[in-house]
Amino acid sequence: MTRPESPAPDPITIEVIASALRSVVDEAFIALMKSAYSTNIKERHDHSTAICDPEGRLIAQADRSLPIHLASMTGLMRSLLARHPAHTIAEGDVFVANDPHVAGGTHLPDINYAAPVFVDGRLMCFIVNIAHHADIGGMVPGSMAGGMSEIWQEGLRIPVVRLFRAGVLQDELMDIFLLNARIPEERRGDHFAQIAACRLGVRRLAEIGARHGVELVTRVFDELCRRTGDRMRAAIADLPDGEYAFDDVMDDDGLGTADIPIRLKVTIEGDRAVFDWRGTSPQVRGNINLPVNATQAAVAYALRALLDPEIPNNQGVLDCFEIVTDRGSLVDCVAPAPVAARAHTSQRLIDMIIGALAPALPDQAVGASNGANTTAVFSGTDPRTGKPYLYLETLGGGFGGRSDRDGRDGVQVHITNTSNLPIEAIETEYPLRVLGYGFVPDSGGAGRYRGGCGLVRVIAPVGHECTFNGAGERFANAPWGIFGGGAGRCGRFVLQTGAGDTLLPIKPSAVTVPEGARISVETPGSGGYGEPALRAPEALAADLSSGKFSPDWVEKNYPQGTNQATLAPSRAGRESPATTNQQREDQHQ
Amino acid sequence: MNPPETNPVDTVESPGAGWLVGVDVGGTFTDFYAFQANSGRVLLHKTPSTPDNPAEAIIAGLSGMAQASGGAFDPARIAALAHGTTVATNTLIQRNGARVAMITTENFRDLVEIGRQVRPKLYDLRADNPEPLAPRAMRFEVAERVGPAGEVITPLDPESLDAAVAALAESGAEAVAVCLLFSYLNPAHEQAIKARIATALPDIAISVSSEVQPEFREYERGSTTLLNAYLQPAFGRYMGRLKAAMAELAPGAPLGINQSSGGLMSVDRARSFPIRTAMSGPAAGSVGAIHAARASGAGDVITFDMGGTSADVALIRDHAAALAFDRDVAGFPVRMPMVDINTVGAGGGSIAWIDRDGLVKVGPRSAGAVPGPACYGRGGTEPTVTDANVVLGRLSGHGLLGGAMSLDEDAARAVVGRLADRLGMSIERAAQGMLQIVSANMVRAIRAISVERGHDPRDFALMAFGGAGPLHAEGCARALGIRRILVPMAPGILCAQGLLVADLEENLVRSQRLAVAEGDRLSALVDELMQAAHRWWQSEAIAPERRGLGLSLDMRYAGQNYDLQVALPVAAADDPGPLPDAAALRALFFAAHERAYGFFNPDDEVIVTALRLSARGKLPSPGLPPVPEGASRTPAPRTRRPVHFDGDAAVETPVYDRAALAPGAEIPGPAVIDQFDATTLVFPGWTARVDTALGIVIDREAAA
Repeated sequence: MTRPESPAPDPITIEVIASALRSVVDEAFIALMKSAYSTNIKERHDHSTAICDPEGRLIAQADRSLPIHLASMTGLMRSLLARHPAHTIAEGDVFVANDPHVAGGTHLPDINYAAPVFVDGRLMCFIVNIAHHADIGGMVPGSMAGGMSEIWQEGLRIPVVRLFRAGVLQDELMDIFLLNARIPEERRGDHFAQIAACRLGVRRLAEIGARHGVELVTRVFDELCRRTGDRMRAAIADLPDGEYAFDDVMDDDGLGTADIPIRLKVTIEGDRAVFDWRGTSPQVRGNINLPVNATQAAVAYALRALLDPEIPNNQGVLDCFEIVTDRGSLVDCVAPAPVAARAHTSQRLIDMIIGALAPALPDQAVGASNGANTTAVFSGTDPRTGKPYLYLETLGGGFGGRSDRDGRDGVQVHITNTSNLPIEAIETEYPLRVLGYGFVPDSGGAGRYRGGCGLVRVIAPVGHECTFNGAGERFANAPWGIFGGGAGRCGRFVLQTGAGDTLLPIKPSAVTVPEGARISVETPGSGGYGEPALRAPEALAADLSSGKFSPDWVEKNYPQGTNQATLAPSRAGRESPATTNQQREDQHQ
Repeated sequence: MNPPETNPVDTVESPGAGWLVGVDVGGTFTDFYAFQANSGRVLLHKTPSTPDNPAEAIIAGLSGMAQASGGAFDPARIAALAHGTTVATNTLIQRNGARVAMITTENFRDLVEIGRQVRPKLYDLRADNPEPLAPRAMRFEVAERVGPAGEVITPLDPESLDAAVAALAESGAEAVAVCLLFSYLNPAHEQAIKARIATALPDIAISVSSEVQPEFREYERGSTTLLNAYLQPAFGRYMGRLKAAMAELAPGAPLGINQSSGGLMSVDRARSFPIRTAMSGPAAGSVGAIHAARASGAGDVITFDMGGTSADVALIRDHAAALAFDRDVAGFPVRMPMVDINTVGAGGGSIAWIDRDGLVKVGPRSAGAVPGPACYGRGGTEPTVTDANVVLGRLSGHGLLGGAMSLDEDAARAVVGRLADRLGMSIERAAQGMLQIVSANMVRAIRAISVERGHDPRDFALMAFGGAGPLHAEGCARALGIRRILVPMAPGILCAQGLLVADLEENLVRSQRLAVAEGDRLSALVDELMQAAHRWWQSEAIAPERRGLGLSLDMRYAGQNYDLQVALPVAAADDPGPLPDAAALRALFFAAHERAYGFFNPDDEVIVTALRLSARGKLPSPGLPPVPEGASRTPAPRTRRPVHFDGDAAVETPVYDRAALAPGAEIPGPAVIDQFDATTLVFPGWTARVDTALGIVIDREAAA
């Protein structure tokens, strides 16, 4: 019996089914978060969930998924399908991978899971999740620090493997994963959380398939990608045609190569956008190299943020631009390039895309943000229990000034949005003491709308000697302002001992922190927007009264100096000018 | 357009008896539900709210109710009044609270501004979290430090405290929040600071974190404390006015203020802890729903409270509402026990629109009360959910509020018709589609509170209330696989009814990390909490026979950071009895973990992070309402009209008056049941039955 091709589903049916799909990825996201063991996932939410179709296209992603994980998801699916054609995949299979060079990952600690969803014996889609494990083995605890020159030093490489075969756990594989991680009990908990999220997703998607039929659901997949692609292309077509270029440099790779150039030329022609990264430095020995799908994720993020923040995240966004690179370059690395700290480079690419398109999008563009994924890892043996511990954190910094308001102080920017860990959690879980946490003074670039300030966190080991590993960026090349705005302050790592302060390298590796000493992590600020001379006097007064900026710095960076700013009356001298004491007294009377 | 002032449910006379009154102050209306215990008489009443001084509407409403009942209700005979208030919530949303300062541990004044260092929207370069209510120049530091075992690392430095108090005096603050690191383990420094400020600056309201919510996580605790301080002056003034007015109108009647956890507290507690009322309204709805569900014999229900601009959904299991401990209120995190409610931006006034990719969305933008849906005839030009219901004949043109307000069917058809034209479909299909999308949004929210907590919504009944809940329940129930819908007797006024049936409640907590094997220390904490409970029972004059108790542990695997609340059995209403041993505690935790996440690891270390005790004082509860006069087990439809359900064609459908339905009445779908402030739909394939509590139970037929 032949049936005529069914008509395209109407916009209401698509929306109803799309809503059900979003519900599944959100549920899987929370299930993973709640059942994981490591703080990295539970508190910092360094994980993502998505649905991909049998061709590996991204269909839906949980709202709180991280942009950089987009790349790993589609990368994993491509590798998975290349290695395991659809007809060899069985119900109950679960696939695992992490390798950036052979399995589409972007760095080893991000472990990818994918489970097929069958309806009436037919493969409808995959539920996919990624979680950043706090350790994946390798040379250094946390698997993230600098100083490594080959991917093998960074940890266990997992090609696409079947962890479950038709529902049966392959214990031997899990044994390999756990034997290669520093804190196996915690990692096992995280793996099982990922498995639980897969199971939930499979069950729920199968229900949706059964309710609406695989045929209709598949048509909805097509429609979602097509409509999103059309929507993004229409936004691109609104940009003035032309070439937009921007150059920047990475501070260093942690192994001696400094000021590494990145070049970008964006060509807009009708609804076509080409991002040409040729001329960028060849890949480097240190671990800041990007697999090309991470470069693709950075472009997708920047386009979405600049053109249409509310657009659904699916393959339609990824398919509407082209990327040109030199194979073997910093933005398209090949084995055995190390990649652990690739997020720094992703952040830089986004700053550059925004900088390049600023002339075309002056209202949407922002000053360079902290441009880093400042990473601090403390490890050692807990003197209270005799057990090893590992505490990893990435810190936010300045967010660049905007066309109508200041940048934000002390936040995660762009491609990452992970939470900090509560101080009361750090000190309860680890033998560490947090001695201070606040904004770095004078770190936001001057401007009509100033850049946001960086963060400083000071941490000391308690009752033992610990090891510190770190990775910074924009510690040497300051985050630039736009349209006349000034640059923000650079970040730095400092070892503070009784004997004085030692400035550490930008990507310090295995620094011994003796008892009584402490590490100060200062993250970069960000660039301002517009001429500093145009800054409103009230805003400048607030900069001073809040204590975020010193009078000396304001004098130096604003032509109008502190004169105008101090005109606002302030009895206490530390008062916000929004409500003066005088006004308040009036209200009281 | 004003609704009829009073809707007497019966007319049994029984002078001289005391009245229990629930008053729910909403944004538009203040609702009253009054019950006289010995006569069983129930009065329902609505009066316009008075946002500038909500007490005015309360007083006016009580007087109005006395008039409308022909003197049967006398405010002087109020035995107890329970009050749900949106004053705190509105103060936060409108940002018109006190000028507030904050005192923190040295080097940590930025904590409350950094928050969790995240942006609210990943891709939106302009979306920011709100600025803290205390600006940086009004956050002062003191030198002191407590460590993770509650030990004092740096004693409180008197000089730095002097400096902070001087700066506080200079700052012109009306209120101050004090939040120090690890104060939940050792409140000594916070208490010393509080005492010092109270002496030096007696006019400043003080909130300290170890009293507001003594729990782990400095940012959430600090944020909650700061919000509390911000609310204290204005809320205190409101409580003062209300107390004075009530003392005149109903001398001696105790006043209970509803908390976000669903229980009531005294006016004096509310003055100290106004943040506890932040979710008071929806919490009352869920207490009302529990009561109604119990009366209808259902233990596990999902509540679905849909109004004009949004819908609240919550989960009730074994006659108890699930609690959440973290949520955002007006953009700020609040940590305290609150009825776990998800809010969806979709109500009767929500507007349908076509997104840039051609897909149809409904809400969150709403036509509000003005201009309102097009069918209200007040100038609305965009298609709303209410318009879609009118197009489908699900709402009649004869209108809302017992006919006091008629609806313009042509206007509804015109706006929905324009949407249908753009989509190239029939007007009815477009209207049905709008309602399907609303259901899909609701279903996501309901899943968030059920599946994510390890519950299967199919095991629950759906309780629909609010003006629009009973209209939309079927679509949600079907998508969730739910086969039973409950519509309580007074769906539009369930929050006020909930206030009437709430208990007095005090939620106590000790946050401490302990191994399950540390039975002695756990028992010592239980003793501590029981002492606090006894102090509270005494201070609220709750006699032993009215006392109640709930005990639970927050537990997790060592290394995990999300806690599961595990309820413990208690021996008696005011005595928890001995704690279960370590093995039993582990077993309870494993069962909870299995239910929530589908697995547990029997070999891993389990720890306790907090012990929670809720002390309750039971208040008299209303019994079954009397059957309205003229109600029948075999009611005749008032009229018939064509209604579009799921199919392409309209079905000629009988329309019943709710007041005509007596217990035992059975109405097969399709049917419409109208009442004063709500319309209930019985879809084809479902059958409605009226139970002894006058609730409507709608069951999906086995084959449907």
